[in-house]
Amino acid sequence: MLNRILSFLFGAALLVFVVWCFLAIGTQVHLTKYGLHHGGDYFAKLFPRSQADWRYALKLGPDLWQPLIETVQMAVVGTVAGMLLAFPVSFIAARTGSVPGPVIAVVKTFLNMARAVPTLIYALLVIPLAGLGAQTGAIAIGIATFISLAKLYAEALESVSVGPIEAVRSAGGNAPQVFVYAMLPQVFPLYLSTTLYSLEYNLRDSFVVGIVGAGGLGQKLSNAVNLFEWLDAGVIIALVIVLVNIVDYFSYRVRKVFS
Amino acid sequence: MPNAIAIENLTHAYKPGVPVLRGVNLHIQPGEIVGLIGLSGAGKSTLLRCVNGLVQQTGGSCTVLGQAVESLPEGSKRLLRRRIGMIFQEFNLMERLTVRKNVLIGRLGYTATIPSCLHRFSAADVRLADDCLAQVGLAGLEMRRVRDLSGGQKQRVAIARTMAQGAEIVLADEATANLDVLTKDDIMELLQNLSREKKVTLLLSMHDLPLAKRYCTRIIGLKSGRITFDAAPDALDDEAIADVLDRASVPGAG
Repeated sequence: MLNRILSFLFGAALLVFVVWCFLAIGTQVHLTKYGLHHGGDYFAKLFPRSQADWRYALKLGPDLWQPLIETVQMAVVGTVAGMLLAFPVSFIAARTGSVPGPVIAVVKTFLNMARAVPTLIYALLVIPLAGLGAQTGAIAIGIATFISLAKLYAEALESVSVGPIEAVRSAGGNAPQVFVYAMLPQVFPLYLSTTLYSLEYNLRDSFVVGIVGAGGLGQKLSNAVNLFEWLDAGVIIALVIVLVNIVDYFSYRVRKVFS
Repeated sequence: MPNAIAIENLTHAYKPGVPVLRGVNLHIQPGEIVGLIGLSGAGKSTLLRCVNGLVQQTGGSCTVLGQAVESLPEGSKRLLRRRIGMIFQEFNLMERLTVRKNVLIGRLGYTATIPSCLHRFSAADVRLADDCLAQVGLAGLEMRRVRDLSGGQKQRVAIARTMAQGAEIVLADEATANLDVLTKDDIMELLQNLSREKKVTLLLSMHDLPLAKRYCTRIIGLKSGRITFDAAPDALDDEAIADVLDRASVPGAG
């Protein structure tokens, strides 16, 4: 009975909270009206509307090539650096019986807390240290990737079934052999898919951190919007959509091969 | 002849106060095929794992091939384990690796760490693995992935692995439990031949009593962590079975 009352109270409180959120945002409806009126114009300006616009958009290509490569490089460097750091740390964050419980608890708590911080915030924190540019973006992405992959790798290690480990040990295998033959084949598909997912997210993130000054296409977009160069902004956004989809497609294919 | 396995007053508890094995005494001669029967939780799997040192018992001694397992340092334990093969109900093969690679796992204990971790084995080991596969009837499947095999074929791969190990003792933990009736017989025949031809000692935990009676040379009944039956298969009559499989005695651990 008490459980039912508590469930009811919890449900009611949740409903009140959601309604409160909507009411608070709803009072700012005039902004939406303003946005609809003017935003439509801005949105239309993102697209080429004349032959001259098309020619201009195509001419932008060579200027955007370098930032585009920079965006990809930031994502790749951040992902690989994060992965290399996460791999050893995941072993001291996984409950596999080989690391003392308190050590695991400390590492896991750190990873969980640090995971709450978005990549963008890391970029803002790194800018004073590394200055503006792609290096900052790569460092910020590397930190965020390290934190999320360490946790995900650790979870993959914890999900390993003990059967193959027993089999390799019972054949006289030592610890490195147990890892290579019994654990790696089990965790490799998970490691690969989480790393590739992380690359996909990092490509989006490398665009976003660019907006706060970490180089690449994001920075170009930020500049274009600040200078009201809407067509430039439109071309950049189109490039990002194409790029992200290409990487997503290849990542999907690779994951499928190894699943 | 010295015992292949000599177990004296063996006790084990995973949690303090909840004993799984309560003073097991057992001597097994080389070449014997010993069926270990009993309810789930009676301690069969734990007993097998004490023999190859995967589980360190809390009391008593377990001498295997002349060496006291409990007093061996980990390195020597690994050397001893090379001579003790183990097969499992769930096969415990590396599903993504090839059949040959799974058999070569039996050679890990004989191969240096770095080459083996790079999946490099000597040509002689590869020949041996293929030869073992041929002996279990799997010639031609060397490069197949294990995940594409049937249950019976998987258990044959596991047996080939113990052969590649050069195992003098094979421990089988419910090795036929996941197989159909005909395949169970095939696997038991294969193990029986292994014992006859190479004098391999077999210690098999089993639930299938007719199968145990057909193939084993000796049956051990384990009840609540104690041996309550130890005789030739013919002596396993209905009364003995009823006593070993007495549900009222299950401790609920194992």
